[in-house]
Amino acid sequence: MNVVLALIALVLFPGGLFVILGSLAFEYADRKLIARFQNRVGPRWFQPLADLVKLLVKEEIVPTGVNRGLFNGLPVAALAASLTAALYVPMAGLAPAWGFRGDLVVTVYLLMMMTLCIGLAGANTLDRFSLIGSTRALTQLFSYEAPFLLALLGPSIAAGTWRISEVNGYARENVWMIVTQPLGFVVALIGLMGKLELPPFDAPEAETEIVSGALTEYSGRGLAFFRLGRDVELLVGLTLISAFYLGGLANPLHFILKTLALLFVTAGLQSLFARLRIDQTVGLWWRAGAVLALVQLLLLIVLKLLGVRL
Amino acid sequence: MSGESAFSGIQDGVGPWISSSRAPADNRLDMDTSAEHLVGAVTAFNALKWGYLSAITGFDSGTAAPSDGHIEVLYHFCRGPSVATFRVKLPREDPSVPSIGPLVPSAVMYERELSETMGVNVAGLPGRKRQFLSDDWPEKVYPLRKDFTMESAAATHAEAPTVGGEDEPGTFIIPIGPQHPALKEPGHFELAVDGEIVTHANIRLGYVHRGIEKGAEDRSWVHNIYLMERICGICSHIHATAYVLGVESLAGVAVPPRAQAVRTIFCELERIHSHLLWLGVAAHQAGFDTLFMYSWRDRETVMDLLEELSGNRVNYSVNLLGGVKYDIVGKAADSIRRGLDFLERRLKRYLKIVTTDESFLRRTRGVGTITFDEANRLGTIGPTARASGVSRDLRVEAPYMAYRDFPVVPVLDSRCDLEARFVVRINELFESCRLTREILNRMPAGELSVPAPRKVPEGEVISRVEAPRGELFYYIRSTGGAKPDRVKVRTPSLCNWAAVLSVAVGHKLADIPMIMVGIDPCFSCNDRSITLRRRGAPGGVPGALEQWSWEDLRQYGIKYYAGGGR
Repeated sequence: MNVVLALIALVLFPGGLFVILGSLAFEYADRKLIARFQNRVGPRWFQPLADLVKLLVKEEIVPTGVNRGLFNGLPVAALAASLTAALYVPMAGLAPAWGFRGDLVVTVYLLMMMTLCIGLAGANTLDRFSLIGSTRALTQLFSYEAPFLLALLGPSIAAGTWRISEVNGYARENVWMIVTQPLGFVVALIGLMGKLELPPFDAPEAETEIVSGALTEYSGRGLAFFRLGRDVELLVGLTLISAFYLGGLANPLHFILKTLALLFVTAGLQSLFARLRIDQTVGLWWRAGAVLALVQLLLLIVLKLLGVRL
Repeated sequence: MSGESAFSGIQDGVGPWISSSRAPADNRLDMDTSAEHLVGAVTAFNALKWGYLSAITGFDSGTAAPSDGHIEVLYHFCRGPSVATFRVKLPREDPSVPSIGPLVPSAVMYERELSETMGVNVAGLPGRKRQFLSDDWPEKVYPLRKDFTMESAAATHAEAPTVGGEDEPGTFIIPIGPQHPALKEPGHFELAVDGEIVTHANIRLGYVHRGIEKGAEDRSWVHNIYLMERICGICSHIHATAYVLGVESLAGVAVPPRAQAVRTIFCELERIHSHLLWLGVAAHQAGFDTLFMYSWRDRETVMDLLEELSGNRVNYSVNLLGGVKYDIVGKAADSIRRGLDFLERRLKRYLKIVTTDESFLRRTRGVGTITFDEANRLGTIGPTARASGVSRDLRVEAPYMAYRDFPVVPVLDSRCDLEARFVVRINELFESCRLTREILNRMPAGELSVPAPRKVPEGEVISRVEAPRGELFYYIRSTGGAKPDRVKVRTPSLCNWAAVLSVAVGHKLADIPMIMVGIDPCFSCNDRSITLRRRGAPGGVPGALEQWSWEDLRQYGIKYYAGGGR
């Protein structure tokens, strides 16, 4: 019986199919919002699904000079990592499907897999655009990853646990941590945009310079998996941040309202700025992002030592 | 006229190097020199700091017989309204001139065009590849020679054109183009990079060369208006205008003032649409798609106006020899005024964005700086030059058409960087709006056109106008027939490449698209020939490329549309 339940959790709900469809819905919302901000009409509701199906049925061209195993395996690994991460977060406002002490750290690593796979995928090909793109992707990874981790650490220190479901529970019972830890919230949200290479952090795939960056050589299924993986990561990331900073997720209504509110903000930020050069991105993260996250963390630790209940 | 005084001192300066000189028209000075004396003449001329090299024209005065006639190369230097020309006569067998590239950097592009299309050997020209013609174009076949035939061009199609190749050791070359998302039209750039820093830049043009200059020699004076209008889809009207102004002055036709005013209004509306288009493209290069979408949305206002006035969005087909087709009256004038009011409001907003938006300024301020001296030395023109403080605007310096009665206030900026190029172009739009309104309010009365002769008397003329991208140069030569003998077009984009390639070095890769687009490059400007070929024509060698004849093309068109366009 347990096995059946576990399989359902893995394949149908809250993992697997539900996450995939949910992330496509979020991609639609994201694209539609940006289009409206830019005074365009935007896509129809099924467009992300149509894109996915189209890419899946397309011929996949494997370029010469690549390691075929890596070329085919990396997209699968990237998607699998994002889908696995979805099991540890309070998806749809329900309790996470799985959880253990320290699952926060595992989730953060799983979320990082995507960028790592993209970087390797670019370095695997001989294409110049891919090589430059993967260099940029990995450079960017080193700049936002530490601040992002520190920003997620804040709430878990306040809650005194490394377990996502317990942080979520703590957040529900206390003042929203966006109020008590505003710096951490900003760093976490912008960090998520950096992880997903959304504008203005899209230097690794700046089309006017390096076409499609690390994924230039990907055409069919591989590209579909990478794109889907990124959508899933967006959903997981938004869930995690709203669970931690927006007073926790207790039910599906909470989930929808809070994640969509965050999506609205990120879509706005995406359409507000010009693309940052890679050196500007790195500079911004180390000069501002890391410092802000550290200041937040130090404050937290000091207050904790002083015995202030947050 | 002040023509005499404008040239004073030149004859003294270059005296020993020239054999004779004369003034064929107001504001013009022609000086004959020879291939041996050319470098000396240009060196002495440079020392006078008189003006900039605007174009190099070559023409073949002969016929199909090889012994007949000669090839003449003209080096046009301009200052304001004045044009000083060095003329070099060469034999048709093995013509050769030395390169003046070391003295005038912007000459290289023109010399390359000259050597490829006219077959003049330019000694000392750097570079190995073809710049304008296709790589598989047969050797020793020069399209602008009078003895050129299509058969000689079709003779060899040995191998497909190649691009790029092996890197030299120690360099990593990023190829941009011929197909690349940054380019809306084909061109090829090779950027050698060290990490993210560009160490060398190179360019190859001509992917859509259409042979319009050659085509013009085979069409009547009237047909050519429509041909010239199709050189560029963005600045179509200004090409036709430059052509008709030249032909009218050759034929001695006095165009009525109302027609000139209508032409000018179209010129300014075209400038507005061109600059707004550029604003969007430039913002897109910086990854600022929101500005891109908004500026293109607002550009539709002026496109609608152009359509309302002429019925067309792209090739307005306004000009006739001796006048214009359309009048601007009543309702149309009111919709122009309304459109301009709306655009001015929007432009204020865009000006604010490009001068205050923090993230955008990080990509433009202090980036791609072309100093005043560099801009002068490299022969930049148009808004690119004006953003470096170089006052080159023919509407101001050599007013033509209605600009004589409605003076233009030049827009200059001395900051020299990308931001300045944005500011200059947007401020120019305010000026265009003001000017258009003023012309509308004081529209001269009278006829729209006067009859023009079918044949144009023998002679040559230089016609220069200010296109949205800068000075547009036409050289038209007539031998008294129903067709021109030579139409030379020097488009503004060609002048600014030298500046871009020299500025690109040392910048980050991410800045290159912005720097390139900063001059508003137009590939139709650069490329003017194409031959249609197909594989495996019936009776031909299987797989070989063959030329399409006019009849083939006609039949293909009939069949295509008979099948419902499938």
